[in-house]
Order: sequence, then C-alpha cells, then structure tokens
Amino acid sequence: MTRASSAAAVVLVSARDMQWRLLRFLLAAVATGLVFGVALMMSGVSNSFSVEITHTLQALGTPTWIVPVGGPGPFTDPTAFPASDVDAIRHVPGIIAADPVLVGRALTTGALHGGTTSGAESDVNVLGIVPGGVGAPKVVAGHAVSGQDAAVLDESIGARVGQRIALNGVPFTVVGLVDGVTYFAGEPVVFVTLQAAERLNTGGAPLATAIIARGVPRGRIPGFTRLDNAQVRSDLARPTAQAAQTIQLIEVLLWLVAAGIIGAIVYLSAIERRRDFAVLKAVGTPSTFLFAGLMLQAVALAFGAAAIGVVVEIPMSHGSAMAVRLSALSYLAVPVVAVVVGVVASVVPARKAARVDPAIAFGSGK
Amino acid sequence: MSLLEIDNLTVEYSSGGYRVRPLDRFSLAMERGQLGILLGASGCGKSTLLSVIAGLLRPKSGSILVNGVEVSGLTGAALSRHRRTSVGVVFQAFNLIPSLSARENVEIVCRTAGWSHARSRRRAEELLEAVNLTDRSSHRPGAMSGGQQQRVAIARALALDPHVVLADEPTAHLDYIQVDSVLSILRNLTAANRVVLIATHDDRLLPLSDVVVEMSPRAAPSAEAEEHRRLGDGEVLFSQGETGALVYIVEEGRVQVFRRRDDGTEEVLNEYGPGAYFGELAPMFGLPRSATARALGPCTVSGLPLGEFRSTIQGQAGPRPS
Repeated sequence: MTRASSAAAVVLVSARDMQWRLLRFLLAAVATGLVFGVALMMSGVSNSFSVEITHTLQALGTPTWIVPVGGPGPFTDPTAFPASDVDAIRHVPGIIAADPVLVGRALTTGALHGGTTSGAESDVNVLGIVPGGVGAPKVVAGHAVSGQDAAVLDESIGARVGQRIALNGVPFTVVGLVDGVTYFAGEPVVFVTLQAAERLNTGGAPLATAIIARGVPRGRIPGFTRLDNAQVRSDLARPTAQAAQTIQLIEVLLWLVAAGIIGAIVYLSAIERRRDFAVLKAVGTPSTFLFAGLMLQAVALAFGAAAIGVVVEIPMSHGSAMAVRLSALSYLAVPVVAVVVGVVASVVPARKAARVDPAIAFGSGK
Repeated sequence: MSLLEIDNLTVEYSSGGYRVRPLDRFSLAMERGQLGILLGASGCGKSTLLSVIAGLLRPKSGSILVNGVEVSGLTGAALSRHRRTSVGVVFQAFNLIPSLSARENVEIVCRTAGWSHARSRRRAEELLEAVNLTDRSSHRPGAMSGGQQQRVAIARALALDPHVVLADEPTAHLDYIQVDSVLSILRNLTAANRVVLIATHDDRLLPLSDVVVEMSPRAAPSAEAEEHRRLGDGEVLFSQGETGALVYIVEEGRVQVFRRRDDGTEEVLNEYGPGAYFGELAPMFGLPRSATARALGPCTVSGLPLGEFRSTIQGQAGPRPS
C-alpha cells in the first residue's frame, strides 16, 4: 500500500509535468514518431528480402534443385548445360519428375509498369519453364504459360492479362499473373516457355541452367549436385545481403536516433526540474522514485512516438519504390522496442535526477 | 530534553576548490513551542544550519537531536523518513512544483509517505483551509501571488505534522502585506508544540521570536581595539575562517594575502606594501576572514576598528585601497 501510493505519486508528478510541457513533448513525439516510422519502413524493406524469397520458392512448388557441380546456385551465377541432360536425371531413383529451367534476365519495354506505354525500361527476372511441368507457378489471373509468345508475370509489374509486352525487344502476350513472385530486392519474375527463354538468353541454343524436380534423388548424379531449400534461399539472398545488412544498420541507427531525441528531451526536462527534484528529495522522496519518474516519462514519450510511427509508416511505405513487408508481429514488436528505447533514453537523465543534491532547494532559486 | 538540540556542530564543505566552514562548533537548544530566529548576513551559515537539521547536508562533526533522534547518523530509508516526518521546510524561493496545483503540491508529500489518495487529499484541503487558500487550491503556483505561494509552501511543510518547521528567508520575496499574513501563520505554528526555526537577515522578525541566534561572526571585544603589530618573516597576522574586527594598514615591509585551496595548496591573492590596507570585508559584512595574511619578511602593520578606519581613509593622506 505504502509503495503503491508512493508510486502513484511518481506517476502523478510525471504526468503533470508532461501536461505542463505538453507542446514540447508533442513535438518530440512527432519527431521521434517520424524516425520510428522510417525505422519501421526500413524493417519492412529488410523483411521483404526474406519474405519474397519464401513466396517465390513457394510459387515454384518448393522443388528440388539440381545444378552443375561447382556452380554457386541456380540464380546468382547460373551455369548453362544441355537441356537434354534432364533425360538422365529423370531416371535417377527417387526422382518423380524433372524438367529443365533456364534462369535469365531481360529488359522490358513498352506496355509494362502500370500498363502504360510510357516506354520506361525495367529489369525483370526471366524463368524459362516447361509448360505444365515442374516449377510452373499457380496463377492468380489468366492461365499458365502455354505458347511461344506467352508470358506469365508478377502482378507488381502492373500489366493486365491480354496486354502485349516486350522482353529484350521480343514481343510477348500476358496470359496470366502470379502474386509475390520476385527476387533480388523486388525485381519481378516473368515466366515464359523454355524455348522462349532460350531465344532471349542463349540465342536459341537448347540450354538450361538448372533442373527442377519433384522427389529427392537417391545417390549421386554425375556432374550435378542437389541443392536443398536453404541453399537455394542462400543463393537468392546473396546479391541483396549487403543491402539488407546496410538497411538493418540504418534501422538500428534510426532506433538510436529515436532514443537520442527522447533522451535529449527528457534530459532537458531533468535539468529544468533540478530544483523540483531537490525539493522532492528534501521532503523524503527516495531517489529511486525520481529515477522511475523520468523513466516513465521517457517510456510514455516512446509509446506516443511509436503510435505515430505506426501511423506514418503506412503512407511512407506506399510511397516507397521498394517492397515493404511488415508482419503483425513487426507491429506488435514496436511497443516492446519503444519501451527499450525509452528505458535506454532515460538512463542518463534519470541518473542525473536521482543524484540531485537536495540541499540546492535552499537558496534564492535564482 | 529539548525538542531540538544542536551540540558543537561543525559543517565544512568544498566550494569552488576552497574549503569552507560556515558553522564551527555551533550549539543551540530549543524547547517545544518556541520560535527561533537565525539572524545574520548572507553567507553566515543560516541556510547551511537549516540544511543540516533537515538532513540534507551531513555535518563534519557534532550532534543534532530532533525529538531525541540523532540526525547526523541517519542514512537511507531512516533519513528519508526523517526528511518526511520530523521536519518541514519552507524554502526561500517557495519551491512549489510548477506543474502541480496548490492542493497537489501539498498532497504529494502525503502520497510520497504512502498515504492513500483520499486521505492525502483531505489533509491537503485541511491545510490549505488553515492558510486561507481553499479557493486557490486548484491553481498552479504560476497563477498565485508570492504570498499565496509561500502559504502553500507552509501548508506543504506541515503536511505530515512535523516536530520542527524550518523556514529559510520566508519573507524575502514578499511585499509588506504578504509578509504580515505569512508571519502570523508562522507564529501560530508553535501552538502545536512545534519548534519553528526561521533563518533571516530581516531583523523586523525579531519581535516574533522566543530565541534569537546571531549567526554573523563577532570578534571578541578585546579584538576590536586598535593595535600595532611587528611581524617576523612568515608570521601569520590572521587566518582564513577566523572572525575579524580590524582593518589592517601596512606601515613597513610587505604582507601577502593568500587563500588555502581544498587540496592544501595556496593561491596568492595579493601582496601589500607600505600605505596599502586589507582585511576590510570581514568586519564590514560580518563574515569570517576569507583568506590568510602573513608577513613577507619583517614588517609592521596597524589594525584599526572599522569606524576609525573609515575616518582615516577620508583624510587626503590616508592609505590607498587594496
């Protein structure tokens, strides 16, 4: 009862002080909220690198990947080999089905990006697949890749079914759309037939860069190696790993900036309230309560900023050129981060408050 | 036993690199219901004494008993309890918390002591009524006059019904109308068998008092007589911290004035030759000597009481200022 009442006194003094300096605390909350918002967005961008890999692999049916020995992976540095090698692999025990795939890139022009004919150019990832074979994605609109000039695109490109597009100047018709099939930091995937991909990337030579299969081969496949899902993920993540690390660093720095803003505001408050603290100590308030009072203010400010951050993150993310993917857990983590930021930010000012000499309450106050 | 007993109290602390001793073997005893006035100029140790009694400053030596409890030995929770319940302090600058209303400023003391919200609120309202501020209880300090703020500060000091109420220059920021109401409240506080101790340089408060303590150092009457002294090399004329009634004029030789720092080293302030005078501030303002004077080689000085010194320097051929 005694401690509860004393704690309530601390809450009262802290709350009244925040009311007293409301404008300052509001401005600090808005400024910190913007920083929180940007940090949250950065977190979403960083998260999207991982999420897009998961989505893309799921869209391909999470197959077994078989690539030539010595290659780093099917996506980052594909090594071409005769597509006919798949015939031998189909007979390997444990393999249920197998098809060649050609991984490449292309430049899109013309009617892409919002369905306009702006002439804007953009890089896309091209996956040449066997129609109806292993790795054919599930479409969310239209139908699967079938003919030589047919293409199935990721929705993020903005094209519609039936629209004509150009890949490296070669015309294609959009026959279907897939959702969330991107890699290398949001670059969309265009599925075409294996032969069409060969026209785009190998000058028509019947080559493949990987075999995708259902089933797990038992024993070795001469000249080839099997990659598990984690290895393929690692291959897809490698080109963006440095960017992801940098973004995560920026994210941490932004949390620190937020802590800095909150710390500065609370520190200023601690300096201005030095005499108040001296008086409170002089009337017997334990130092721990003064410490707790400032910590409470910092955490309250951080919570306010976090709420603003969550709100401003939404329009900021919509305006971002890169994909921002935040899970519900990310939003739920914000209050936890806010508490940590608040506590970290308040340590210095709270220690200052707790160390105030109560004897300064005496004197003219000038 | 007296409610407040101070025996041989010495307080010493470091200030700006110098060791300061505002209280040196100070003693005082006050009975229940007495109002004491600590009278003296700024810097003579009045506020220091209040700080020590309130448990905000630890003395170097000596004893302070408040209602039989030795204050100087208290630490931690016992010290916090003493600050809360044994003494109430009325500060010179009111020191109300600006973000709290008058009632909350009083209430917060009770809440900090663990009282319930309802009980604290009742107590605050009761005390604000006692100082005629019921109608201002929801106002913040910034919306109140100096006198009203001081009355809230008195109500706050009484919140936990302490044995001793300490007031530091309670009239310093008030006009004469406000002084009147504040003083009558302070006088009435003794009715509840409390000790009230007021530090002030305002001697108009003397008629209120039962006990007056002159805090400004006074030199012994024998030390106020004019003197001529011959000093040998390095001989000390007066020391830092001593009382002093004489102003010195150098007749022959040289005198060095220096201050002893906290770390034991010396800071030379000045050197005086024939015709120069020094040491006038201590007798003029009733303060202890702030430095030590010693001879640099054999010398002769004249020590004059303040009045005589003034008449001397009015003459054309008088000594030159230091």
